[in-house]
Amino acid sequence: MHINMSRDLWQDPWFLVGLSLTLLFAGLALLGPPLAPFDPWDISFTPISSPSAAHLLGINDGGQDIFSELLYAIRNTVAFGLLSGLTALVIGVLIGAISGWFGGFVDAILMRIADIILAIPAIMILILTAALFQPASYILALILASLMWPTIGKAIRAQTLSLRESLHVRAATQMGGGNWHIIRRHLIPEMFPLYLIGFAAKTRMAVFMEASLAFLGLFDPSRKSLGMMIAYALKYYYMEVWWNWLTPPILCLSLVIMGVTFLAISLEKVVDPRLREALVEKTA
Amino acid sequence: MNLEIKNLDVAYGNGGHTIQALEDVNLKIDQGKCLALVGESGSGKTTLGKACLGLLTNNARQRGTILLNGQEIDTNDETALNTIRWKSVSMVFQNGAANLNPAHRIIDQVAEPLIQHGGAGRNEARGHAAKVLEEMGLPEACFGRYPHQLSGGQVQRVLLAMAMILDPGVLILDEPTSALDALTKGVVSRVIEEGRSRGKAILLITHDLEFAVRSADSVAVLYLGQIMETLPADELFSNPLHPYTLALKRSYPAMNSARDLGGIRGDAFYRTIHQHGHEDETDYLHSHIQVPESSHKDGHAPPSGCLFSERCTQAIEECQKGRVGFEQAGTHTVRCLRRGIVDMLELKGVEKGYDSVAALCPIDLLVKAGEIFSLVGETGSGKTTLAMTAAGVTRPDQGSRLFEGRDMDRWIKKDYKSLARRIGVIYQNPAESISHRFSVLETVAEPLTIHRVGLEKGERVERVKKCLADVHLSTDRAFLERYPHELNMGALQRICLARALVLGPRLLIADEPTSSLDPSVQAKVLKLLLDLQIERGLTMLFVSHDIGLVRKISDRIGVMLQGQMVERGPASSILSQPCHPYTRLLIESVRGAFSLELNRGNNRQYPAGCPFAPRCPERRDVCDKKPPQLRNIGHVQVACHFPVERPL
Repeated sequence: MHINMSRDLWQDPWFLVGLSLTLLFAGLALLGPPLAPFDPWDISFTPISSPSAAHLLGINDGGQDIFSELLYAIRNTVAFGLLSGLTALVIGVLIGAISGWFGGFVDAILMRIADIILAIPAIMILILTAALFQPASYILALILASLMWPTIGKAIRAQTLSLRESLHVRAATQMGGGNWHIIRRHLIPEMFPLYLIGFAAKTRMAVFMEASLAFLGLFDPSRKSLGMMIAYALKYYYMEVWWNWLTPPILCLSLVIMGVTFLAISLEKVVDPRLREALVEKTA
Repeated sequence: MNLEIKNLDVAYGNGGHTIQALEDVNLKIDQGKCLALVGESGSGKTTLGKACLGLLTNNARQRGTILLNGQEIDTNDETALNTIRWKSVSMVFQNGAANLNPAHRIIDQVAEPLIQHGGAGRNEARGHAAKVLEEMGLPEACFGRYPHQLSGGQVQRVLLAMAMILDPGVLILDEPTSALDALTKGVVSRVIEEGRSRGKAILLITHDLEFAVRSADSVAVLYLGQIMETLPADELFSNPLHPYTLALKRSYPAMNSARDLGGIRGDAFYRTIHQHGHEDETDYLHSHIQVPESSHKDGHAPPSGCLFSERCTQAIEECQKGRVGFEQAGTHTVRCLRRGIVDMLELKGVEKGYDSVAALCPIDLLVKAGEIFSLVGETGSGKTTLAMTAAGVTRPDQGSRLFEGRDMDRWIKKDYKSLARRIGVIYQNPAESISHRFSVLETVAEPLTIHRVGLEKGERVERVKKCLADVHLSTDRAFLERYPHELNMGALQRICLARALVLGPRLLIADEPTSSLDPSVQAKVLKLLLDLQIERGLTMLFVSHDIGLVRKISDRIGVMLQGQMVERGPASSILSQPCHPYTRLLIESVRGAFSLELNRGNNRQYPAGCPFAPRCPERRDVCDKKPPQLRNIGHVQVACHFPVERPL
């Protein structure tokens, strides 16, 4: 659609940084476990050792290789975030667009449901579910998604409502454009930044939520996770191990969130030419 | 005397090629009546005049009969013709001085017919000639002069005097005013007036439509030798029925019309008929319409069918087929398969309300094919609602809508897309009516995408380019890939216009299309709209609050006030002599004469009486009690209890 979109993107530092981080963590999530030098569940090493050539980040209190543990934890955390964010986005966009475009009774029902879900604190549900039923992590991700979509849905619905009244959508309707044409050519591209923003926000939230639940020890203790690593490392904050044990998971968590956010910002700029100009003026 | 022409055919033979000058001409001019014959040059007007006097050249083949007082004129009998010429039928030829003998004094030339045909003596004839010349307003000092010593206007007077000197019963005037100034035209006008009152039958050949309307009782419109329409003279400007008559009217710079001139698309010189081998048949006789720079090959016009169909903007396939006969339509007779200009859009009793506010009271609207109908009125008068109802976008609460004679509501339900193809809409704000994520190409191609037209990619781009060229925009690659925020308003509005036109609609609905443009761009867009009307025969419903703008393009105007149409009619009548006080207020406001007194109570709903009553200077008791109904005043319909009947 946009001829010089790629060129603009490659010149955008936000995009480059975001992309590098995202690719790095995607790569780590995909290839990390095979690359791991040791089995992270292997407890045969000397507990609480400093980094060495064999163990790049040392050994934790359980006698496990921290570097291998970290690689497995990144995969779990990233997968949880993506699954949850993507599911929330799909549900939110679908429900928001249907609600806004068709209106009436459908709109009323869907939005009441959204209101109810909004009133429920997600963390509480997750803690209770995790504690009572100990479900698999992807179930928790889906439960989280089903609690996060209303904000996306409401934003999409509001945008659809205003777009429905906008002159170019009315013009397209007059020209004989059907629902599918208008949704595909006018509504979806028009709301693209909203998806990115929504997706980034929800992925961030899910990554953080996963870390929190793991920090609280609500996942299967054998499941590696950044949150769990932080929780264990924190017990030994008074020892010299914090920099090789505590810092890496915190740093990784932060970088994952940053990468997703940067990517969203830069894509948004390019997809919306008006925003692009405004940002160029601001940064210039 | 009266003159009747029946089934007259005239062809000028010239070897293999024959020019068909007149075909199937039927006319009757009664005693005391004047018939004006109008048409473009080469339509056969002069040939018709000459045929009445048997003055056609030797290579002319004439068929049909010419009756003078019911008696046939035998055009082969020279002696019989000679008794008729001058005495019963006389003609004033065009080209002034060329018709006079440069070697004789004018008084002698004027007296000559009297001596030759009237059997008068020389002195008696001269005396009479002097009297007639004086009547024509020629100064006595000129009587003895030679033709080359006179001005064009004086020569015309001399010719008129010559024609009138034997007091003939039938007078044929061939372009008597073509070279004259407006004042000398008055003399010709007086001659016609007197002739009519003295029971003469007058055939006035002219291309001066205004003169024809003022002088004649009826008008016959001639096109390539065929009469296309005959109509009462006073309806020539206000109610032409044939598309050609309308096109002629649009081309004429009438005094009381502020509309910019439009021409007639295409060109025609004359018709030729010739014989030569044609595909399988030899000696196939067929006719052409000769147009400039056309060879025999590409100058082919339909051998049969309506002669005007090539240039006609409402021609359908059938127009090219069989011969078209005359049909009576009210006071008109018209040679048109579709019985004259068709109705494009008709709204009857349309009502629309938003919540408790009535946006449209029962309202009627009729837009004819090929015309520009403008809706004017103050803000909130329901113009846009009416336009969008006409476009099929807004559904009325009540009333029926017909588009090209079909019920619109049923059409929308059954097959909205085919209706959408026929109606193009431009909106007030071009920037908002284009998605900012669409490039120029995508914007203009959107209707093609929706209607799955031109599925091959190259074809679509070609159509878009052609359409952009039509609206005078660039068609190069770089421009096609631009986005709306990179373009100015004028370009955007023209892109909207291109988008509205890309499917070739029959009706264009333009809602304040120029209100966001500066005057120079506005002028360009308006000129474009007029050109499109001429070239494509586009019908337009034009919405504007600016009556000063509307007068430059409208054929008819409807004035709206609080959801009602309070006045409608031909643009020239409404602008020069508005009957409704509200219309007068609108026009005066454009001229800068704002009156605070009159602007008071702008938005007050007035359920019982006339909606304009609170602001009306002519308000009386009945205005507050009874809503006025639309009624006819001249060519205008007006809803007012006390319509103003003086010019502005």
